[in-house]
Amino acid sequence: MNINVVIVGHVDHGKSTLIGRLLYDSDSIKEGRVEEIQKLAEEYKKRFEFAYFLDSFDDELKEERTIDTTGVMFKGEKNLYSITDVPGHKEFIKNMLTGASHADVAVLVVAADEGIQEQTGRHTFLIHMLGIKQLFVVVNKMDAVGYREEVFQDTRDKVAQLLASFGYQDVPFIPGSAMEGDNIYKSSVRMEWYKGPTLIEVLDEVEISKEPKPLRFVVQDTYKVDSESVVVGRIESGTLRKGDSVVFQPSGVRGKIRNIRVFQSELQQAERGDSIGIVVDREVKRGDVCGLVEAPPIPTEEFLGEAVLLGKSLRAGDRLELRCATRRVSCQIKEIREKINSETGEVMGRHPAEINENEAATILFATAPLVVEKFSEIPELGRFVLVKDKNIGAGVVLETTN
Amino acid sequence: MLDLKDLENQTIYILREAYAEFKRPAVLWSTGKDSTTMLWLCKKAFFGKIPFPVIHIDTGYKFKQMYGFRDSIAREWGLDLVIAKNQEAMKEGVGPRDGKFECCTKLKTEALKKCLEENGFDALILAIRRDEHGIRAKERYFSPRDEDFKWNYKDQPLEMWDQYQSITEDKTHTRVHPILHWRELDVWEYVKQEKTPVNPMYFARNGKRYRSLGCEPCTSTIDSEASTIDEIVEELRVTRIAERSGRAQDKEKAFTMQKLRALGYM
Repeated sequence: MNINVVIVGHVDHGKSTLIGRLLYDSDSIKEGRVEEIQKLAEEYKKRFEFAYFLDSFDDELKEERTIDTTGVMFKGEKNLYSITDVPGHKEFIKNMLTGASHADVAVLVVAADEGIQEQTGRHTFLIHMLGIKQLFVVVNKMDAVGYREEVFQDTRDKVAQLLASFGYQDVPFIPGSAMEGDNIYKSSVRMEWYKGPTLIEVLDEVEISKEPKPLRFVVQDTYKVDSESVVVGRIESGTLRKGDSVVFQPSGVRGKIRNIRVFQSELQQAERGDSIGIVVDREVKRGDVCGLVEAPPIPTEEFLGEAVLLGKSLRAGDRLELRCATRRVSCQIKEIREKINSETGEVMGRHPAEINENEAATILFATAPLVVEKFSEIPELGRFVLVKDKNIGAGVVLETTN
Repeated sequence: MLDLKDLENQTIYILREAYAEFKRPAVLWSTGKDSTTMLWLCKKAFFGKIPFPVIHIDTGYKFKQMYGFRDSIAREWGLDLVIAKNQEAMKEGVGPRDGKFECCTKLKTEALKKCLEENGFDALILAIRRDEHGIRAKERYFSPRDEDFKWNYKDQPLEMWDQYQSITEDKTHTRVHPILHWRELDVWEYVKQEKTPVNPMYFARNGKRYRSLGCEPCTSTIDSEASTIDEIVEELRVTRIAERSGRAQDKEKAFTMQKLRALGYM
């Protein structure tokens, strides 16, 4: 099984080092790469670091911090992992979100000698907002605290409390040292008091279950193929079968699936994730969402979302573009309901006039008609980005008012 | 193994997004395994006919077999082939002895820049992959370039879920990377499954084969006995050697690849 894992946590708590360690101990590092990095470290007068397997920008090496997200892959015993490294610095939250948005599972890294820091809380808030349900904590840098059990317990108790405030219960905690290799890929002999699994052991137990959901097919385009009109797009949830009666929203077009086409072939049915073409003999548009007549998508012009802002500021009344799946609409910030501290998840104020960079809020959006779903029900259609000259924010749908 | 169907679905989705979002996209084709696989994926995404031009950057230093392979595929697949050359630099005799950085920049990056200006392309579809090189692992699916062709890697766009940023101001273009998430092994597994054509230079002869193809003076072979696609797949399952070990421009100096890419190299 392929599992997408994001490693999060405060700057310098050892995220890149942990991934470097996983790659190194699992024998995934290519020949000559270690020597290459040793040479580089000498040239830049730095100590050899596992992090340099990930941090490929010269600025990252010079500044000893990750600037942008990196994706690497390696094989465990059972699963194949796509591991995403993200920067732990506040100014790079945009890159952190980019990296975390595809993750199934998160590993929160907390340095034993520093405990909870600003991004520990903010990253937890963000992965919670992104709907990542499976979380593991590595209490890292145990070597820096003499591998003492009481330091681990103390850190665990405090972090567990923080996680509980975001609804994460019974999260496994692993005492480790990415630098020295304890309990990441190999068991540690330096912490006899810990009887639990290593990080790779808990990751290898991960399974991702997908519950059945109603059909949602998003329209990307219409092509002429052999003088036939083929509507292309992707199934975001559910199953589509030839002969199904469907409705497209917000255009309101109804039709029957006459054919499901892929290159040089036809299908009887298609599943979640499939990029397909359908023949419906009706004109539909990019941005439409198709569902079965029995469980149709419902267009809305207003919804409540929770969003985090990466741009400079956003005020009640502002107009901008909102994108959900392939639909782009103009929208207005009708009301900023609650400003949320993205470090703690606490409500900082009701009905503020504006929110600023890196702040989160629950916002009532007034939009041109579009289909959104509650994020908790159909996440693929319950998430959106906000655009003003560029992508400036992202959020999830809490409530729809149809 | 990553599920080939998932990889293909995602790539087709990205290609269709690019085609819907940009006015004048083009795809870059080196004739190597990755970009040939991507052309095949373009054929699948658009039901047989690739609806945009295919650019081949000709440095004049490519292997003879690459030109032959290019012309036969172009004919067979009915490609709208655009050959990009930096004629001036070629006339001046720019070559690898001028330094690899200089040579790659002049003969590839500059050639591409001219081609873009002449044709007004606003999106370039490229077959780079994260697992090829650390610097490529930092890329986005949709990656903007400024009017000087520069990659502002310090301030890349927010790219969450599949919401790619497609806004380009005048005179700029966006790089689109539809197979960014594929690994080398996945490409070969896919070539095997789809029976797509590959340049025979990838297959071993007399204990040597090319694992990555570039310009003749700067590309070397690896030791290998893999003379079929199956054997290549097997070799890649166990190898510890880096894919681009035979590509000289990556190794000239530390961060050469970053510097090349910052200026608009692929």
